[in-house]
Amino acid sequence: MEENLNPVYKNKAYGQYRELSYSYQDGGKFEKTVGFHGEADRLILQQAWDLFQERIEDARQRVLSGKASPVVYYMEKNLLDPLNLSMMAGISLWRVKWHFKPGVFNRLKNKTLLKYAEAFNITIDQLRKVD
Amino acid sequence: MVKLEFEHKQAGHCESGVTRNLLNYHNFKISEPMAFGIGAGLFFSYLPFLKMQHAPTTSFRVWPGQVFDRATRELGVKTAIHSFRNPKDSMDKLNAVLEQGYPVGLQVGTFHLPFFPPEYRMHYNMHNMIVYGHNNGTYFISDTLMENLVEITYEDLMRVRFAKGAFAPRGRMYYPTLVPENIDIKPAIIKGIRKTANNMVGIPFPIVGVKGIRYLAGRMRRWEKKLGPVKASYYLGQVLRMEEEVGTAGAGFRYIYGAFLEEASTVLNQPWLKELSIEMGENANKWREFSYLGSRNCKKRGKPDQSYDFLADILLEIADREEKIFRKLFTIKK
Repeated sequence: MEENLNPVYKNKAYGQYRELSYSYQDGGKFEKTVGFHGEADRLILQQAWDLFQERIEDARQRVLSGKASPVVYYMEKNLLDPLNLSMMAGISLWRVKWHFKPGVFNRLKNKTLLKYAEAFNITIDQLRKVD
Repeated sequence: MVKLEFEHKQAGHCESGVTRNLLNYHNFKISEPMAFGIGAGLFFSYLPFLKMQHAPTTSFRVWPGQVFDRATRELGVKTAIHSFRNPKDSMDKLNAVLEQGYPVGLQVGTFHLPFFPPEYRMHYNMHNMIVYGHNNGTYFISDTLMENLVEITYEDLMRVRFAKGAFAPRGRMYYPTLVPENIDIKPAIIKGIRKTANNMVGIPFPIVGVKGIRYLAGRMRRWEKKLGPVKASYYLGQVLRMEEEVGTAGAGFRYIYGAFLEEASTVLNQPWLKELSIEMGENANKWREFSYLGSRNCKKRGKPDQSYDFLADILLEIADREEKIFRKLFTIKK
């Protein structure tokens, strides 16, 4: 068993489990091995998480400076895109995008807010501001 | 309280592993590559119009659920498949089936799955796992991705079974009800190989199969100019994540398919399949090389290590190899 010392992941909880993978050795033998991820696999996963973190931070700045509504922040925080959010909340895609404007968001009824709050698994009070 | 005597085995791919483990429980011994090959799981498609995690979707597998459906149908195994509107109904049905003594396969979303490795916890609704018992609101789970058996609570299980979004599972559950005594797997293998070969070279549509690989290569050459280096490297990373990460057992299922061809050659007693399995293994190593070189580009985000033209050339070589292999496989006879 190889050692799990690869410093690619920035989060300490990552890369703690071993998965089964197949490989091929020259000479016609397919092998099954159970082991940790190699460096190449870790790099591409970390790249995705880097992008998510960047998008979350970017969305937070935009909400704090009043350019976007908190829906954008919570959408990025839950790793969603507008299409998936519309499916989760049960609100049509163009309405979801319309609600990204802070002015529109502030006028929303409680009924609509509740749909978003359920999709993000938070309360309406939390939805009104970013943490 | 039900807890069935279930033998857990880790697998490279969730759905073929689930198929293998379920059939194994009903005393039909089959290996994971065999289940994958008979279920005709190998595929390629590049869907630039469908964005997943902010980049175009590349898929190396068939539609979710097809591996189990095809494999059991070709083997003559009787199955029951349900999906639900009401979450509570689905849990009642699950309990009833467990009490009859059948382990059940479930399609779930991974975002809220508590035991799932955190680095994989993204919105992916096509994961499969097996429930083999329950006790007082705790369900016993055999997830082929994990080394050991795990448990989950009633609320969490209901939640992951009714995850929303693209490819929502809608509580899909499936289990074999009747496995015949003497199954002849030879015709099933031949049918599975033919189906895969047809999927890869027989569909006259530019974004699927071998043509899809060439299409991706063409698109890749334009990425850097069109999107800028940072976004281009993220798009490349998305292809590689689909190839290596989401339970593909390495190189986008090409290793597992090579292992299947090797096994099929001994079962069918056709030595030419063994030669093709060697070609498949070399082809899989080429995919691996592609992902290794590609991952360098993802690391140095701004400055690509390898040019995208170079990576696209590797893809074209892979496409040529795969076309040769699957054209030969297409001519398989009894």
